[in-house]
Amino acid sequence: MIGGRVTEGSIHTRVLANLQRNIAKGAKIQDQLSSGKQLNRPSDSPAGTVSALQLRGETRTSLQYTRNADDGLGWLGTLEQTLGSSSTLVNRARDLTVQGLNSTTNGAQANEALATEIDQIRESLVSYANTRYLDRPVFGGNTTEPVAYDKDGGFTGNAYDPADASRTSVSRTVGSNVKVRVDMTGPEAFGDNTDVSADTTGLFRVLENVSAHLRSGDNAALQHDLTSLDKAGNKLKSAISEIGSRYNRITQMKESAQDRLLSVTSQLSDIEDIDLPKTIMDMQLQQTSYQAALAATAKVIQPSLIDFLR
Amino acid sequence: MGSSFGGINTALTSLYAQRRGLDVTGQNIANANTEGYTRQRVQMQSQVGSLSPAMYAKTDGLGTGVAVSDVQRLRDEYLENRGRTEHGASSYLAAQSASYTAIEDAFAEPSDTALAAQLRDMWGGWNDVSNNPQLSAPRSALIQQSATVADQLNAAQDSLSRQWSQDRTQMSAYVDDVNVTAGSIAQLNDSIIMANASGLTVNELEDRRDLLAMKLAELTGATAAKRENGGMDVFIGGSTLVTGTTVREIDVTGAKRLQDQLSGADPVRLVWKDEPSSTIQAGGKMGASMDTMTTIIPGLSGDLTSVTDNLINSVNAKHRDGFSVDGSTGLDFFGRNPDGSVTVLIKDPDKVAVAGASGTLDNSVADAIADIGDAADGPDREYQSMIGRLGVSSQGSTRRAEIQAVVTEQIDAAREGESGVNLDEEMTNLLTYQRGYEAASRVLTTIDSMLDQLINRTGLVGR
Repeated sequence: MIGGRVTEGSIHTRVLANLQRNIAKGAKIQDQLSSGKQLNRPSDSPAGTVSALQLRGETRTSLQYTRNADDGLGWLGTLEQTLGSSSTLVNRARDLTVQGLNSTTNGAQANEALATEIDQIRESLVSYANTRYLDRPVFGGNTTEPVAYDKDGGFTGNAYDPADASRTSVSRTVGSNVKVRVDMTGPEAFGDNTDVSADTTGLFRVLENVSAHLRSGDNAALQHDLTSLDKAGNKLKSAISEIGSRYNRITQMKESAQDRLLSVTSQLSDIEDIDLPKTIMDMQLQQTSYQAALAATAKVIQPSLIDFLR
Repeated sequence: MGSSFGGINTALTSLYAQRRGLDVTGQNIANANTEGYTRQRVQMQSQVGSLSPAMYAKTDGLGTGVAVSDVQRLRDEYLENRGRTEHGASSYLAAQSASYTAIEDAFAEPSDTALAAQLRDMWGGWNDVSNNPQLSAPRSALIQQSATVADQLNAAQDSLSRQWSQDRTQMSAYVDDVNVTAGSIAQLNDSIIMANASGLTVNELEDRRDLLAMKLAELTGATAAKRENGGMDVFIGGSTLVTGTTVREIDVTGAKRLQDQLSGADPVRLVWKDEPSSTIQAGGKMGASMDTMTTIIPGLSGDLTSVTDNLINSVNAKHRDGFSVDGSTGLDFFGRNPDGSVTVLIKDPDKVAVAGASGTLDNSVADAIADIGDAADGPDREYQSMIGRLGVSSQGSTRRAEIQAVVTEQIDAAREGESGVNLDEEMTNLLTYQRGYEAASRVLTTIDSMLDQLINRTGLVGR
C-alpha cells in the first residue's frame, strides 16, 4: 500500500469491498442453485451458449424426425396391411382359376359361380386399391383426387416418375438428409391396368379376363390367364417385401432419432445444468467465509485509542 | 538582553499555537466520516527576534516563541490524478458491461422460448405441413408460428432501438451534468484563487473542488491539473473544459433514433458547443454510452437484420417456386413493412405453397423450406453465432470491469490512507496539544510568580 498509512476510512473501504465481493459470489451461487442452471446468459459461457443453442436445435430436430417417422409408419403400415389382404385374395382367385381349369366336368352353372366369385374378388381388390390414410388414397401418389382407381379398375392417380417434377413420391424426412418414400402408387403394386389385351398383367384386367374365359369355358385362354395371374401376384408380393423393407428402415431411423434425443438431452444437461453437490459445497464454503469475514470485520473496526484513554 | 516581559509573550504565542492545533484536530475529528474531506495539519514554526541588528535593538539569539505558519492539506496530487484516471476507466467499463447485460436480457438466450426455439418451432411447422399437405390445420398453425418468429425479430430490433434511445436521453442528461459541474469548478477556482492571493487557507473549498473533478472523471474520463495560483484546469480528451474561471461547454448532436444512426447521415456526436464540427473523445460513463450508441447497438442491429434478411430471402426463394392448394404460385411468404419490420405476407392457409407442381399433393417445396433450419448458412446458424459473439464481448467487458474495479479500489484505499482521518492519530494529537497548552500555562504562571517576586517582594528589607 502506498504510503503505508492506514486510517479508519481506508480499512472501511477495503473491508466493504471484500464483503461486497463475498456476497456477490454468494448471490451468483444462490442464483445457480435456485435456477438449477449454470448457463443463464450468453456471457456465462459464450462457447457453452452456442453449443446449448445447437443442442436445443438438435433436440427439436430429433423430435421432429420421430414425428415424421411415426407419420411414415402410419402410411407404410396401411400399405402393408392392404397389400397383405390383397395377396390373400389373389391366392383365392388363383385357386378358383385352377378349379375352373381342372374340372372339365363342370357345368356352365358351376363356372358361372366361379366367375361371380372372381368378379367379387376383383371388386374387393379395387376397393383395397382405394384405401385412404388421413384422407389420402395411399396408392394415388400425389393426386388430389379422393380415389386412386375408378370402379372399372382404371388408375386415376399420379404414378411416380422421378423424371417428372409433377409426379413426385410421398416421402418423409426421418434423418438429416434422409428422405424415405412412404407411398406406393397403384401400377407398382397392381400392375399396368391400362393394357386390355389378352397378354395384360394388370391385376384387375387379368381377373376380368379370367371371369370372361370361365364363363365362355375357354380353357386354353384360361391357362394363359393363370400365368398372367401368377405374374400379377408376384408383382404384388415383391411390392409387399419392398414396403416391409422401407418399414424397417423407418423404424431404425426412428430408433436412432430417439437415441440421439437421449444423448443430446444429456449433453445439454452437462452444459447447462449445475453440478448440484458441487454447487451446494461451494455455497457452504462461501457462507462460511462470509461469516468469518463478518466476524473479523466486527472485531477489527471496534477498538480505538478512545477506548483506552481516561 | 530581552525584556523582562518577553517570556510572557513567548508563552502566549504557545497558548495560541496549541489552541489552533486543538481546533484543527477538532475539525479533523468532526469530519472523520465526511466524503472527500482531507485531513489538515497545523504547521508550527519557532520564532526568533529581529535578525537585522540595529544599535539599540540587538537580539540575544533567544527565540520569541512559536507561530502557526500554515494549516496544511495532506493530499497527494499524484494519487489524486491516478484516482481520477482509474475512476474514469472503471466507470467506462462498468457502464459498458451494464449495456451488454441489458442487450443479453433483450435476447434472453439460451432458453426454450426465445428466438432460436421459435425458429425451430417454425421449421417443425413446415415439416408438419409437408407431412400432411392435404390438411389446412397444419398450414394455419404454420402461419401463426411464422408470425411469432416475425414478432420476436421485430421485438428484438425494438428493444435494441429502445435501449439506444435510453442512452441518447441519458447522454443529454450527462451533458447538462458535466456543464453544471464544470461551472461549479470554475466558481470554486475563482474563490480559491482570490483567497490564495490574500493569503487565506481555503482547504475545504479545495476538497469540494476535488470531489467535483472526480465526478467529471467518472462521467467523461476527464483529467485535471493544478496551477501555481491554486486554480484547477480540467481536460476532456486533451482539450480544456475548465481553464481558471472559464468554462467551455459541451453538447451532444446528431441522430435522435437508432434508424437515423444506422442511416449514417448524421451519427450522434459529442461536441464543443462553440464548435459544432468538433468531436470529443470522452471516456467514463459518457464514453461507454457513446460506444454503445455508435458501435455496439448498431453492430448487433446489423447482425440481426442480416439474420432476418437471410430468413426472408431463403424462405421466399423456395416459396415463390411452389404451388399452393388453390394453385397460386410466385408468392412471397415473408415481407417487410415500410418501417422495416418483418411480417408474414401469407394470411390464407390455402395460399401456402407446398407442392413443386400445380394440382398435386406433392410436398417437395415445404420439405425444402423445412430443411433451411439445418442449412449451414441458414438463419439459425447465423443467429447462433451472433449470440456467441455477443456472449464473448459481454464476458470480456464484464471481466475487464471486474479487474478495473479492484485496481480502483486499491487506489481509493491508498487515497483514503493518505488523506483520510485516523482517529488514533487525532487522539494522540489532541493529547499532545492539550499537554502543550497546559505546559505553556505553567510557563506563564512561573513567569508571573517570578515577576511577583520582583515587583511585590523586592526592596522590602527592614520593613
